[in-house]
Formats: sequence, structure tokens, C-alpha cells
Amino acid sequence: MKTFFAWLLWLWLALVIVGAFFYAPVAEHFRVPGSSRIVFFHVPMAWTSFLAFIAAAVWSVMYLVRRNPRHDRSAGVAIQIGLLFGVLATVTGAVWAKIEWGAWWNWDPRQTSILASLLFYAAYLALRQSVEEPEKRARLAAVYALLGLVVTPFLFWIVPRITFSLHPDPVVNSSGKVEMDPRIQHVLYASGLGFAALFFWIHNLQCRLEALAERRAALKE
Amino acid sequence: MFVKEWRCEYRTRYALNTLALFAFTTLVVVSFSLGPLGVDRSHGTAVLPVLLWIILLFSVAAGLPRTFVQEEETQTAMALRLSATPSALFCGKLLYNLTLVFALEVLVTPFYLMMTSLEVASPWLFAAVLAAGGYGLAAGSTLVAAIIAQARSKGTLFSVLSFPILLPLLVLAVELTRGATAGDPGGVSLPVLLLYDATITVAGLMLFPAVWNP
Amino acid sequence: MNSPRLQFDQIRRRFGRLSVLQGVSGTVGPGEMMLVTGPNGSGKSTLLRCLAGLLAADGGTIAYQENGTPLDAAERRRRVGVVAPDLAFYAELTVEENLAFFAKLRRVSPARGLDVLGRLALPLDRLAGNLSSGMRQRLRWGFALLHSARLLLLDEPFQNFDAAGERIARELLDEHLAAGGLAVVANPSSLDFLHVATHLDLGR
Repeated sequence: MKTFFAWLLWLWLALVIVGAFFYAPVAEHFRVPGSSRIVFFHVPMAWTSFLAFIAAAVWSVMYLVRRNPRHDRSAGVAIQIGLLFGVLATVTGAVWAKIEWGAWWNWDPRQTSILASLLFYAAYLALRQSVEEPEKRARLAAVYALLGLVVTPFLFWIVPRITFSLHPDPVVNSSGKVEMDPRIQHVLYASGLGFAALFFWIHNLQCRLEALAERRAALKE
Repeated sequence: MFVKEWRCEYRTRYALNTLALFAFTTLVVVSFSLGPLGVDRSHGTAVLPVLLWIILLFSVAAGLPRTFVQEEETQTAMALRLSATPSALFCGKLLYNLTLVFALEVLVTPFYLMMTSLEVASPWLFAAVLAAGGYGLAAGSTLVAAIIAQARSKGTLFSVLSFPILLPLLVLAVELTRGATAGDPGGVSLPVLLLYDATITVAGLMLFPAVWNP
Repeated sequence: MNSPRLQFDQIRRRFGRLSVLQGVSGTVGPGEMMLVTGPNGSGKSTLLRCLAGLLAADGGTIAYQENGTPLDAAERRRRVGVVAPDLAFYAELTVEENLAFFAKLRRVSPARGLDVLGRLALPLDRLAGNLSSGMRQRLRWGFALLHSARLLLLDEPFQNFDAAGERIARELLDEHLAAGGLAVVANPSSLDFLHVATHLDLGR
């Protein structure tokens, strides 16, 4: 069953890649139109990074309520993957920024927000590193994750109001009215789904790996 | 709880000294780099509010974590865990940290204004931002201090953990301070800062028991 | 008059790779004392800390009730009286100030604690940081009995005591048990006690 989903996932992602380059048209209003294809990867990566954060927060709550170590492990892994995708999103974003706007970094609100969230992920992982006792580590990490969750909306609210946005509005528009060519939308959302599924797949693998490592360490004595 | 903290503190005067010393050293360094080297007015209004908050932030990071770290180090934490309800403990520590932060602000700000010749157009707004921002600093730091008190490498870890949490607060405070010095709020409102304060307080109260007790 | 009862089942606790408690169980009824013995490192202190609610066990259950109402870990933590070697007080405050502080936190009058310290002959105006080890141990007893706890968890309760101190402490313990209280006492060696209901030996 698992292998079926794995194959399905890879097929899906392969289709997305093909679609990104051949099926979807180029967004004309960009300076280097061909570079717009990066949106199919850059944006879903950012989405997945935040998905990871939400998932980690949910697992953290579950841990604090149930005190089941598996939830703590899930939360920790989620943040790890969230960091990975966040870094990828930032890098792809910077590349795109360089091509499109001429500079790697512009203090655009989304760039700033994702940088702030990267800081938070790294801090969370640093906290996990600093506590040896598993029960304490789980508790403290869960609390910190929730604290971050509570604080993040403020950042998202503030940053756009302070910095001037270079992010093209029509491309990622939160009000719902999307002025994108429908084919671009198709590939974009398909990619989003694919990346989300990829997140859960990697998450599942990594959780199992960590569980096995723990058991091996326990057996060693 | 609060009274006890102050009594202990009064007898040793450790935290106040550290805090004040750190704050003033930073202040002098900042002023020195800005003053003699000269910063023209337009740049001044943009940069100076930021530096004030950086001084406050770093002073807090230097002096505040002690509240919990010391309990663990002197092993009085056990007695506290057995006697106090988490909310009483948290509130007591928070109040103590608040007074520390406010004292710090009262001490540092006038000197800062003098040494940088920064003029404040709306003094009431300025004071309000210092109060609300200072509260946020204290509240956020208290909870994070509780977390790191039970971890290793406490000093550096505190900075690492608290800065992402305090970032929204700082951004808000700096923008509002800028507005206060220039006389124009510039689109960021004080209520949001107060909302942050409220949120962090509630979050602290709710999450602290999980941090303090197994 | 509340009749407390303590029951714990299959308590497990490990520290990293070291499995310190591997399924310890026991019951203590009103007026009973459980003596826990074993060599250093056998988990006596760990067990007591779990019972006090200061440490979470990896497995097993702890059930404590007073007057028929079961108390959860948080409530139990505040209700027990603990004497332990690593229990410390505020060095900058005097004995009396320390006691008053903890009494206030517990919302009880410091009278009982002061009474106990009076019997143990501890000078109230001495700074806690200037106490000798024996006097510190007396302060711990004062702290443990401050709120008229029904369950006493005593880890090496007579450590550093001179003969007089130990005698008075034993009296206090006997009075506590006679009044229907519970006690779990941990000690490296098996001391002479009169009312040992259960003897739990953690030696390997």
C-alpha cells in the first residue's frame, strides 16, 4: 500500500515538472518571462514550509495533552522538514528575485516573513538540541512551538504594512481573485498538492528512521 | 512572590547592577559611534529609534533570564515547585521582570535622548510605546527564561529563542517610536502592540505550567 | 479527618540508557510507613521524586487520595511534605523569612512550621545561607511539615543530624503516623523504625 502511494507521488510530481515546462504558458508580464516557471516550485515550497509549522503546532498540542512521545517526534521532524523547505523556498525566491528585480535580497515582506520563520525553526531545533532528557525536551519544544504559533500572525500582519511589496500581486494574490492563466493555476495547485504529499511522505520516513534509531540506542545498553 | 524577589534582590543587588552596567556600556558605544562621527538629521530619525530598542533588547537578554536560571542553579526551584501554583509563580516573576524593564527604560532613555540629541515630537506616544513595548519584552522574556532555565547553554540559548518571539514586538515598537519622534504614526497602530502584549501574557500563563512542572 | 492512601504501580524511569526504576509497586495506608532501601543509585530518590510529582515516570501509575478524593499530580505535588538532600532555600533570606514566604505561597499560617523549628531549636533570624548542614536539615523538616501534609516523602531524613536532632525528628515522624498520616522514607541503610508497614528494597 505504501509503495503504491510512493509511486503515485513520484508520478504526480513528474507530471507537475512536465506541466511546469510544457503545459503551462509563460507569464508575460515578467521581465524574463521564462523565469516565471519557477513559481511552480518556489511557491509550493513556501506553502509546505508553513504547512510544516502548522502540523508541528498541532502535534505539539497533542503532545501536551496526551504526552505521547510519538507526537513529539512528529513535531520535531515536521520542523526539520519545514526548515528544509523554507530554505529551499528562500533560495529559489532569491534566485528569482535576482533575475526579475536585479537583487538577491530586497526586504520584500514575503522574503522577510520567511526569513523570520526560518529563524524560528532554527531556534526550535537549537532548543531540542539543548535538552537531553526526552520528556523535558518534548515538553519545552512543544511549548516553544506553540509560542511561535501565537506570535507569527503578528509578523504577517505587520510586515506588509511596513515594507513596500515587490511581490507581484497578480501572481500570488490572497484576496482570491487570481488573474492567472488557468493552465498556470492548474500546475501551481497541482504542484502545491504534490509538495504537501511529499512533505508527509518524507515526514513519515524520517519519523520511522528516528524511532528506529531510538530503539537501537535503547537496545545498546 | 513579587515581594520576595525584591527582597532577595535588594540584598545582593546583582541583577540591577548587571543590567544597568550592560545598558550603559552599550549606550556609550552606540552614542560614540553615532555622535562624534556625525549622523545627519534625516538618517538620524530613521536609525536612532532602532538603536534604542536594540540597547533595551540586549540589556534584557543580559539581565532577565537570571530570574529562573538562578532558581535552578541554587536549587530553590524544588521548594518552589512544591509550594507555589504555576500562575502565582509566573505572575510574580513577570511583575519583577516588568519593574526591572521599566527601571531600565527610565534609566536609559533620558541619557539616550540627550546623547543622541534625538527630539521627540509626540512625547505621550513615545512614553506609551516604551511602556507597551517594555511590557512585551518582559512578558516574552519571562516565558523564554523559564524554558531555557531547564536546558543547557542557557545564555546563548536565551537570545536564540527569544529573538524570533520578540521580533514582531520589536518591529512594532521601532515603527511606533519612529512615528513618535517624527510626529507621524505612519500606519502602524498602538492597539496592535497592546494586542501582542495581551496575547503573549495569555500564552505565557497558559504555557507556563507545562514548562515548569513535568 | 481525612484518611489518605497512596498506591503506585509498575513505576518505570530511565535516564538516557540507564534504567533506574524497572517496575516498582507498593501501597501505603493511613498511619503506615514504607521504608525504601537500597544501595546508591538504586533509584530511591528517583522513586520519591516521582511520588512527589517532581519527576514524570516513564511508565506506571501513581494514585493518591485524601478523604476518598483522588488527587492528580499537580495537587499531589502541593500536598506532600518533602525532605530531600537537594532541597534548598533562599540564602539571602532568614530562616523565618523563608518559612513565611513558603507559608504564604501555600496560603497557610507559618505557625506550624515555626512550631516545628522551635522544637528543633533552629534560630529564626539566621540567614539561610549561613546555616550549617545539620541546621539546614532542620529547616527542611520545618518546610516539610509547614502545611500539615498528610503524606511525607523523606529522602535521607536524618542526614547531618546530631543525636538530639534525630531524636526530635523521629518524634515528629511518629506523631505524624499516629495521626493517620502516610510516610515513605528512603535511606541507604535500614534504620530502626517502629512502624514499618512495608519494606521496599531496591537493591540489585
